[in-house]
Parts: sequence; structure tokens; C-alpha cells
Amino acid sequence: MEVFWQLMINGLMLGGLFAIVSIGLTIIFGTVHVVNFAHGEFLMIAMYIVYLATTSLGVHPYLVAPPLIVAFYVVGLLVQRFVIQPLLEARDPNVQIFATVGLSIMLMNLALLLFGANIRATPGEGTRALIHMGGFRVLSGQLVIFGLTILVVYLLQLFLAKTHLGRGIRATSQNRAAAQLMGVDVLRIYRITFGIGLACVGLAGALIAPMYPVAPTTGTYFVLIAFVVVVLGGMGSLKGAFVGALIIGIIETLSSYYIAPSLKEVASFLLFLLVLIFRPTGLFGSGQAME
Amino acid sequence: MSKIRSIAAAALGIACMAAAGSASADVKLGALFPLSGELALLGEESSRGVELAVQEKNEKGGLKNEQIRLLRGDAVDNNQAIGEARRLISVEGVKAIFGTYSSARSVAASQVSELAGIPYFELVAVSDDITNRGFKYVFRSNPSSSDFGGAAVHSIVDLIAPTLNVDPKSLNVAIIHEDSVFGSSVSGAQVAAAKELGLNIVENLPYAASTVDMSSIIMRLQQAKADVVLQTSYEKDTILFLKQSDEIGFKPKAVVGAGGGYILQPVADAVGHDTMEGAMVVAEAHFDINPAAAPGLEDFMTAYKAKYGTGPRSSHSLTSYVGTKAILDAMEQAASFDADAIRAAVYALDIPNGQTAVGWGVKFNVKGQNERAQMLVLQWQNGKLVTVYPEAAAMGKFALPN
Amino acid sequence: MKSHNRIKAGSGYRLLQDPEVVGLMVIVPLLVILPVLLGEAFIYHVFITICLYAALATAWNIVGGFAGQLSFGHAIFYGIGAYSAVFLMQAGITPWIGMVVGAAIAALVAVAISFPCFRLRGPFFALATIAFLEVFRLLALHFSSWTGGAAGKMVPLHIGWEWMIFRERSPSLMIAAGLLVLTVAVAVWVRHTRFGYYLVATRERESAARAVGIGTVVVKLKAVALSAALTSAVGSFHAMYLTFVEPQAMFSLVFSIQIAMLPLIGGIGTLLGPLLGTLIVVPLTELARGWLGASALGLHGFVYGAVLVLIVLFLPDGLLGFLQSRFPAVFGKQKRHAADLDAAAGDAAPFARAARQTQVSDAAEARSMGSGDADDWIVSAENLNKRFGGLVVAKDITLTVRRGEILGLIGPNGAGKTTLFNMLSGALRPDSGTVRLQPDPGSVVIPRSAHAFAQAGLGRTFQIVQPFAAMTVVENIMVGAYLHHGAFAEAHDKALDVASRLGLWAYRDTEARNLPIGRLKRLEMARVLATDPKILLLDEVMAGLNQTDVANAIDLVHAIRESGVTVIATEHVMKAIMSLSDRIIVLSAGGIIASGRPADVVKDPGVVEAYLGKDFQYAPA
Repeated sequence: MEVFWQLMINGLMLGGLFAIVSIGLTIIFGTVHVVNFAHGEFLMIAMYIVYLATTSLGVHPYLVAPPLIVAFYVVGLLVQRFVIQPLLEARDPNVQIFATVGLSIMLMNLALLLFGANIRATPGEGTRALIHMGGFRVLSGQLVIFGLTILVVYLLQLFLAKTHLGRGIRATSQNRAAAQLMGVDVLRIYRITFGIGLACVGLAGALIAPMYPVAPTTGTYFVLIAFVVVVLGGMGSLKGAFVGALIIGIIETLSSYYIAPSLKEVASFLLFLLVLIFRPTGLFGSGQAME
Repeated sequence: MSKIRSIAAAALGIACMAAAGSASADVKLGALFPLSGELALLGEESSRGVELAVQEKNEKGGLKNEQIRLLRGDAVDNNQAIGEARRLISVEGVKAIFGTYSSARSVAASQVSELAGIPYFELVAVSDDITNRGFKYVFRSNPSSSDFGGAAVHSIVDLIAPTLNVDPKSLNVAIIHEDSVFGSSVSGAQVAAAKELGLNIVENLPYAASTVDMSSIIMRLQQAKADVVLQTSYEKDTILFLKQSDEIGFKPKAVVGAGGGYILQPVADAVGHDTMEGAMVVAEAHFDINPAAAPGLEDFMTAYKAKYGTGPRSSHSLTSYVGTKAILDAMEQAASFDADAIRAAVYALDIPNGQTAVGWGVKFNVKGQNERAQMLVLQWQNGKLVTVYPEAAAMGKFALPN
Repeated sequence: MKSHNRIKAGSGYRLLQDPEVVGLMVIVPLLVILPVLLGEAFIYHVFITICLYAALATAWNIVGGFAGQLSFGHAIFYGIGAYSAVFLMQAGITPWIGMVVGAAIAALVAVAISFPCFRLRGPFFALATIAFLEVFRLLALHFSSWTGGAAGKMVPLHIGWEWMIFRERSPSLMIAAGLLVLTVAVAVWVRHTRFGYYLVATRERESAARAVGIGTVVVKLKAVALSAALTSAVGSFHAMYLTFVEPQAMFSLVFSIQIAMLPLIGGIGTLLGPLLGTLIVVPLTELARGWLGASALGLHGFVYGAVLVLIVLFLPDGLLGFLQSRFPAVFGKQKRHAADLDAAAGDAAPFARAARQTQVSDAAEARSMGSGDADDWIVSAENLNKRFGGLVVAKDITLTVRRGEILGLIGPNGAGKTTLFNMLSGALRPDSGTVRLQPDPGSVVIPRSAHAFAQAGLGRTFQIVQPFAAMTVVENIMVGAYLHHGAFAEAHDKALDVASRLGLWAYRDTEARNLPIGRLKRLEMARVLATDPKILLLDEVMAGLNQTDVANAIDLVHAIRESGVTVIATEHVMKAIMSLSDRIIVLSAGGIIASGRPADVVKDPGVVEAYLGKDFQYAPA
């Protein structure tokens, strides 16, 4: 039984990791309604930047977070403005997907070009300290991720609910045309939202880098998981994404132990497909996966 | 007058012979490796060994007095592999193809060469299938997955158990591996060898190489009370497994990797030298080996640095260099460059152990596999990878940290 | 499904007028002739690769382009074809049969996967296909005793046509080119027949497609099955060509995305696009790899990705789209018939002309219409109830529509007119209650879906026009005409006829997206009239028309009724609805509050109170 609970805790910690990766995607999808296939690659680039900063400047990875968040916010603004925005009025709504796929190929190969194919592990003082909680183990870094994810979700929800800008974002995500009629500068909202979304990715990169090695192909895995989480949580719902991530983390950990490690992704994908097919609004409603 | 005429005739004759000599075509050989795409790094590394061997042969006068022209092919994916093989054979007219690092590319390309009746020399890829197809013209100079798997298992019986002073059959052996052809073929061989020796396998777990979390696997190994873990892995999963095992508190008595991530210095640095201490690897070649057991290794290193500027990035180049050199020596003895003549010469090859830069010799069995290709056992000691077995090649002593 | 010999002889001439078909007929043979002429064995391989990729791209385009469902999982079918051929070959059965078996399995799998996923929006359908692909790959790896696992399976090297394995190159080229010809022929057939029109209509506007009788789900499933079968056939051949299959290569996400990229670059949804895309990308990738690949790892991949992004940004319709907009005379379908356009500009009263032309010759028959024989009903709604959450929009509505009458439906905003309309046309299912139709006396039907209503003879227009934007005017109308005229020629003639009656002749080859709202409304009407409806539901068809046009529209509706069509109309333009209708039903707050002749209803105090107010002054007595 002890094993089971430790597995559950492992699953929750893994879920925390998935959650922080997915928050950015949730925000972007919930408002701009763009499925950003390059999401995982942005995370990978963030992790590489953290690696560079820690190894060449000797700083602690967590200290890289603030500048990284700001930098990625700006990158988000630019990507939205120059890649996504021109395609918003495209005849075929599918072209946006192709644009982000192209972007992901570019970024992955850029990483290959700049860093080579080798794995890079970011050092991080104190991030892998073992913490014993009532007989169970977690790593300090994992707790930090878990805790910060909750904090970020809470702050973002506060921001969306209470601030003027936040209301604008919510309005735009619910009904773009109406929001425009109410005087909301929708394009600006989109840029800001994409910026916030990528800023979250920057934060995730700083937190994750000391926990997992990074290679150019790391992004692909994370983007698939992030989409599963976003769908599960009900696209655009931050709380939903958080809970969805925890569910996926637990499913992967349990199925890996009790069934087979080689099939754990099958379990996640099957859940994903079941939700898409039978409950496309996500487990927490309000989603818009359907026509 | 007749003197001048005879001198002129002789001069003319010599000129003709000289002209005939330089008009003789170079002998063309093909080098087929993944040079772009995801396998490019080590594919490129492997091809460097071939280039060095060819360069060396050319400097010594060439193959049967003809300079070798090495033509490269990029096996970026399976379709390309067969396309390039076809190009090298039909368009360039190579007499033989050297390759390939990737088992999948090797299998695909050698099906083409076999149909065309051209010899294919595999130098690096391990999958048993390569030499199990009953083909006439396919040879492999390096150890196969059976060798990798067998060596890992034998290290339990020959090294681990005696050092622990226990009966090998009393040890719980767990096998984990990444799920591509590398991990599957080696672990399959491990299972077979372990069964043959009567060892007790408690777990056999494949996993996806892209995984970000191995805690569940480790917990399963803990539950199964695994004493020895045999892992076949690439870089990331090696790092994950060792680091997470340390954090979870899983300390098997021994861990044996099979090539892949376990031989790379960056991996050891990422894992942490303390955690890495004592980890064993079975590998087909290593640079830090007793020079007496591997003549030519130092020359290889010198030549490599001279040609490429830095030291080798992995031992794949060494392995391919040794294989190519042996084959070229065989081809020198062949009656002609016909496929069957080459084949006969290759089968006649008999290089004893201790006479090549990797330490093992070359003699091909009826399947085309080099039966003298054997594995070294290496161990991480103080952040360095040290050869510990066989004794002739050893640079350090095997020990198990407690 | 794969019968490519259904292109009839007579339509051959028509096909040749499509510049894309001409392009295909020029380029495809070149793909065979060039390598044979050049003779070099390596060239054969390049062209075989081009043929295979072009065939895969064309097959993908049937789903991704024509049907508009973005699939990133097509490698599933490719892999199924490959493994089927290999399995059967190991059992001693020729891969030709393996190809057919694989295609059948792939089609079934495609239907099973797609059916539950169709209602997902574009990106989510794409994600679902990726998830399915990954599941297949992981299962193929896992069940290694069947599939050979990660090590894959080698194909035994039996030589000969029976086994699709050869020492020489040219037979392989023949087969690859043959597969390309097959997929292209199927694509051409699809595009130029009713199936293709239905597919594109479904992609453009699924609700409008259903309203003209298209079973959109079945149409999409057929497209998916067809595409999967073709993709699988290519996979079977490729497995024989590679003589080696492994899960990583066969169920590859990267490969799936590559297949989708090719039509994108060439022109998605076109016939020539996939081939053009392949001709550009495959050689360029090779060149880039050769030129850049050696210099730095990842450079050519980076360039590839960058080029992709640039193409999407600046040429979102692909190369063909770009050519079509720059050189429409050569490449485009859109033709401007200048003389006709001038004539049309001066035509101020198209509705009037249409009304005149719709006269029924038999005056007696005309007089008998609208007699209001109470037993001869054509639409009967009983106890319709509908609520959205807490809001009751339809409260126990019962009404009967008599054959040949013009029934007007009015009520204040929020009364539930649109909901009732939608229930009467099958676009919305009532929570309880039934709608029955009696298109011909004695034959009662209870349709269960929008397209079933349409097929039973009920046509409707939409309040907000729903044209098939990518299709021309005549093509739009043809979609309606196809309901009762299966062949291209008949549907085309019928469409032209209806177009001219409604003053759209001059715009027949204009793409619908380029029309102003007035003509779009006429197009809406034309499309539904082309379905030869017995019942016509007009949803605020007068909105936005000026006084003269309103009068002409009224004449047109009368003429339509006189040609034997029952009309139900909902309107806010009081003058129009009063003079148009034989009978009026007034809806308020989800229930019928009055019913009767216009003159009577107008005086009903309840109605006045609920609604009429000052508008009444302008209604004719």
C-alpha cells in the first residue's frame, strides 16, 4: 500500500510538471483559439537558455526565471504579431496549424544547430534535495514546481477576474466580435495573451531545467502531453488544466508501474481520445473542441 | 641509328605503360551512413573511421596499387538508404559498401546490395538480424547484440558474483531497455543468455526513450529486490535512471549498461561522478585501453586529431576504423574486385586477438559475423571510464562500491 | 470505391477544360518518360520517390483538402498497408493481394477513427489523429511477436512481378507511377462528380450542405475511407520497395506531417497542388540536404522550417493559389464574362423577370393552388417543445401547413420563430413532439435529420446567407441541383437555368466569396430552388431589400407557389408578409397566439398587444 501512495505522490509531482508546461498553452488556446504546435519547442529553447546561463554565468537556474519570463513575454508578442496575426483572416482556418508546425521545425533545428544533438543537464543547487514527508519522498524542485504552479494559476485567475485587461481577455475569448464592438482592441489582447502564455513557458523552462536533461527533441514529448492536458481540462480553463495535468501524471505513473512502462503513453492517449470523443468540452466543461 | 631507334622504342614503350598505368581507374568504395537527420552525430563519427582507414591505405600505395576513392552516401531515412545504396552501386559502380551505424538503415540498404550482388560490410550496427538473413555478401566486423547482451550477462557470472562472493544464480537480475531496435535486440540477447546460464530474471521492462520520468520503473525494481540491473539505453534515459535511482534510494549491487549512454563522458558529468561510481558498461571499443593489447590505437588517435582537429567524440570511429582496415587488407589479397573474389578473401581473413587497435581480431563465421569481435567491460571510477576486463586490455581493477 | 474508370467518355471534353487536369496529364507522364530517357538507375529512384510522395499527397488531399479535415495521422494507413503486405507475404501470399487487403483494413480503421472525431474542430481533429497514430506506433512496438517489434520485419527477397521485388528499376517505377495515376484519377473523379461537390460543400458550410440534402457525415466517411485505402496501397508497395518495415518508419509522425505539407505548399484542395508541392519539395530537400546538411547539423532542417512558415504566411493558398490569383486567365476557374456583366448591371429587376419566367402554363392548375383544402396537409407539427437550459423557446406548438398555401410566421423578437423554423427544417431536434411531412398525397415521412428533410422535399434559406464561399455561383447552385440530378451535365444545365431565372447568369463563374450581399441572397434562393423543393421555408428573405425589390420578391414567391411549391415564410417586413401570405401564424414567447387570414389576425387584440403596434398603419387592409 505504501508503494501505491508513493506512486500517487510521484504522479502528483509529475502532474505538477505537466501543469506548469500546459498553463501557457491553455491561456493561448483559450483566448486566441490557436493550437500552438511549437509550444514544446519554446519550452525546449527556454531550458537551453537556462542551461547556458547556469553553466556560463554560474547563476542558479531559478534566478534565470525573471529575465526569462520577460524575454519570453516579448517573444510571445512578436510571434503573435508576425506569425499568427497575419493568418487570423486566412481563408482556410487550418493554415495557422501549419504555421506553428513550421515554427516548431525551425526551432528544433535551431537548437540542433546551436547546441548539437547531445543531452544537456542543467545543474541546480538544492533543486534535487530529498524531502521526506511522512515516510514518502519528494524532491525539493518538484515541490517548488507544484507550489508555483498553484500560485501562478491563482494569480492568473485573479488577474482575469479583477483587472480591466483581464476582463478584456475573457471577453475576447468568449466572443471576439462582441468584444470588438465593446471597444476592446482585440489584436492587442491577442498579443498580450500570447505574451503571457509564452512567459509561463519561460517560467516553466527555468523550473524544469534542473530536473530533466534537455535535447532538441525534448519539446515533442511535452507538446503532446500539454495538448492532452489542455483538452482534458476543458480548453481555456486554468483550474481544469491543473487538475487535468495531475490526472495525467497519476495515470502515467500508475500505469507504468502496474501495467507496463512501454504502454503508459497509450493510457494517456486513450484517455485523451475518449475525452475528445465523448466529452469534447473537457472534464471541466466550457471547452470548445466541438464545431 | 638503330641505337636511337631502340631507345626511342623503349621510351615509347615506357610512355605507353605509364599512360596505361595512370589511365587505370581508381577503385571505388562506398561509405553509407546517416550524415544528416537525427542520427547524424554518431553516423558522421562512424564514417570518420572509414575515412581514416581508407586514407591510411591510400598513403601506403592504395588497394592493389590503385588509389581508393571513397564515395559517401547519406542514409538519412530508410527510403534514402536504399536510394543511396542503389546510387553507389549502379551509378558510381562501387565494389563494396561500408556502413551504417543504424541497424534499420543497414538492413534496408543491405537488402539492395545483396540483390545486386555487391558486398556490404557493416562496421557498427548491432542488430542480430543483419547477419541472420542467410545473405551471401553481408558481413559485420563489430560485435552484435548477442555479443552485447551476452557480455553483460557474463559479467554477472565472471565479475560481479565472484566479487560479491555469491552464487550468480542467487542474484535477482532486472533488465530494462529503451524500446527501439537497439534496446530491444540487446535486451533480447540478455534474456536468452541469462536463461542459458540459469540466472534469475525478475523484471524485463521496455520503456520509451523519450520518457521524462522513470520513478515507476525504479519502484518496480525496488519491489522486485533487484540486485543487478542490466540497462540498454541512450543518453537521456541513462541520466534519468541513475539520478532518479539515487534519489529514490534504489541501490542495486551492480548496474551494467550496454554501450549507448553509459560510455559517454557528458552523461557521467550530468549524472554526477559519485552516483556514477562503479557503474559498468560493456562496449566494443574504448580509447583508454592497455596499449599493449591494442596496437595502432595511438596512431589512430594521432591521425584522427590531425585530420579532424579534435579528439574522437565516441568510440564508433575506432570500431569502424578497425573493421575497414581489416576488410581492406582482405581485399588486398583478393584475386580481383569481383564480389565473389572479395568474399573469398574476406572469409580467408584471420587476424588474431591483440593485433588491432580495438584489441579483438577478425575472423568471419559462416553467417558473415566476426566471431572474434568481443566486448570489453568498462567501469566508471572517479569520473573516468576505465577498462577492467579482459585482463589483457585492463587499465584498472574491477571493484564494486558498497 | 476505387473504380477510376467511372469518368465517362462524354465528360472527357469537360475535364479537359479544367486547367489542372491538363497540367496533370502533362506532368504525370513526364515522371515516367524522363527517367526512362535518362536511363540512369539512380534517377529512377528519385522519380519513384517523387511518384510515391505525390500519390500520398494526393490521397491525403482528398481528406485534408477537399473535405477540409486536417489529418496528421495518415501514416496509420500507410503503415497498415505496409504491414499487411509483409504479413501476407510471409504467409506466401502475393503482396498484390496484400495491397487490397491492407486497403480494406485501412478504410475500415479510417471510418472507425474518423466517425467519432468529425465533430471536432480543425486543430482538435488533427490532435486526435496524432494521438491515434502514436497509439498505433506504440502498440506495433509492443506486440513484437506479431510485428517484429522495434527490429521490424524483413521482406523475403523473392524476385518477380508476383512479389513486387525486382533487380531492375523500371518495373518499380511502373508500379509507383501506376499508383500515382490511380490516386490522381480518383482525385479528378471525386472533384468533378457529385461526390466531390458534396465534399467541398460540406467543408465550406456543413449546415447549408445538410439543408440541401447532403448526408454530410456519410460523405466525409466515404472520403476518409477512399483516402485511407489509397494511402495504404502506396504503403504496401513501398514496403516491398524498401524490403523492410519497422514501426518507427511506418508509423512516423514526422512523415505524416510531411505528407500534409506537400499539398499545402502546392495548393491545398486543388488537383494539381499535391503534385506541384511534391515536385518542389522533394528535389529541393535533397539539394538542401546535400548543400547544407554537411556543413552544420540542423541547418537544412532550420531552412526547411523557415521556408514552410514563409510559405504559409505569404502564399497561404500554395503555389497554385498564387498562380491562380496572378494569372487567372491561365490557371483560374474564375472567368469574367464582360458582356454579360454589363447587361446584368442594367438589369434592375431580376426578381421581376424571375417571377415572370416561373409562370405556370396551366392557369387552371394555378387557380387550384392555395385553395386551402384543410385535409391536404403537407407539413404537420405536433406538440413541439424546446428549451435551452432554463429558457423555454417553444411551448407545445402544433400547426398544420396546407398544400399549396403561403403561410406567414410572425412574432416579436425572441418569440421563437427561428427555433420553430429550425425544428421544421430538421436543423434542430425538438425536445418532444414530431414533425411530419407529406410531400405527395398519401406518402407521409418523419425525417430525422436536416438532410433527410431536404431529401424529402423541404428546402430552406438561411437568415444569414450561407454560401459555399470557395465555389462559383453555378457550382453553388449545382450542389442543390445534384439532389435530383445525379449527373454533372444535368445538374449543370439545371443550375444555369435557375441562375438565369434569378439574374445570376452573368456571375455564374464568379466565386461566391466575391459577391455582394444582394446577389448572395439571390444565390441562396437559387440554390434551394435547384433542389426542386415541394416545401420552401424562407427565413427573412426580404431583409435589406428596397421597396421595389420587395415588391418583385413578393411576385417571385407567388410565382414559386404557383409552380406547385408550398411556402412558409418568416418576416419582419410587415407589408411584405401581409400581402404575401394566405394565412398568418403569430408566435409570442414560444407559443402560438393567433392564426388566420392576415386581415383577421391584424385585428386580434392579443396580437396587437404583443406585437403589431405602429407597424400596422403601413400594412394594406
